[in-house]
Amino acid sequence: MKHNDAEGREPRRDCRSSGSALKANYMKTPREILLDRQRSVEGRLDAIRREVVRNLAQPAGAAHRRTDDEGPLWWRGLSTLWRELIQPSRRVWSGLAAVWLLLLVINLSGRDNVSSVTGLPVQAPAVALNWQAQQRWVNELLADRAVSMEADGPRQAQPRPHSEYSGAAAV
Amino acid sequence: MLEVSAPEQLPVAEARAGEPAAWDALFRRYQLPLYVFVFELVRDEQASLDLVQDTFVAALRHIGTLREDGKFGSWLFGIAHQKCCQRWRKRTEVLCEEIPEIPGELDASPDDLLIRREQEAAFMRLVEQLPLPQRTVLLLYFVEEFSIEEIARITEAQPGTVKSRLHYAKRALRKLFLENETQ
Repeated sequence: MKHNDAEGREPRRDCRSSGSALKANYMKTPREILLDRQRSVEGRLDAIRREVVRNLAQPAGAAHRRTDDEGPLWWRGLSTLWRELIQPSRRVWSGLAAVWLLLLVINLSGRDNVSSVTGLPVQAPAVALNWQAQQRWVNELLADRAVSMEADGPRQAQPRPHSEYSGAAAV
Repeated sequence: MLEVSAPEQLPVAEARAGEPAAWDALFRRYQLPLYVFVFELVRDEQASLDLVQDTFVAALRHIGTLREDGKFGSWLFGIAHQKCCQRWRKRTEVLCEEIPEIPGELDASPDDLLIRREQEAAFMRLVEQLPLPQRTVLLLYFVEEFSIEEIARITEAQPGTVKSRLHYAKRALRKLFLENETQ
């Protein structure tokens, strides 16, 4: 901003005083004209200024922060974790959660398909009974076969003496 | 309550430290000139009040970007000018028109120009009629008596461009007064 210069030009305040003296002759500087035309809005400007300064004195997050700082250690740790880690990147975490859910659903539906193909878990009681009857029948058949084999005598091949193996190897 | 009477007494250091009283004093000092500047650019009372409020809030948030405490005034007007530009861009108004640069010296202080009461309405009409870039420069020159360098910083223009805009604006003003004299 301009002040009194080396050429001895009058400083602004003196200019204003000379301007105010000239007001008697109905003279005004452009600044006075421009400011005087808007004096009526000063009340509203005061209100805006007070509101902005009041918000500075009482920041919006102050009350929230105060409640975070209270409580047991684990709660403060959790709230700090939430505030510092989760809250700043909410969208990223939401996206990851959605992907995890999708993977879980795909995994579960895949498991259902596998069980229906192998037929291992049997839910219906009628099917279970049928399965048990078939199992019993197979067992009986196997038992009959074992009895008839015992009647024919052992046909198992006797293991050869160890010397025969070594002799064959020498030849 | 802090009182501000001269630029060198501005409590900018206290404001940097977050003292509400210092901010109150600074805003009280600049609120009316800032409003006049914004109003003469946007010509809408409510929008001007909103822009002044936005400027104050931005000043509170970004005080760290102010390099020299003595430049607080031009820095604040720079924020207000940016806010006006953002508003114009939203409304897709023509922001600037290029004016060829004119070499030459500026006249004396704006306070040297005294306007008679019967010429006030004509003066205001002329200010309103000026193209936006010239009006911006002239308002900054008249309202806060900023130097060419300060106006250049506020409007993000070259000092030569500011000088030529001011020259055209003042020439138009002189023409008006001459016409009034002859009538």
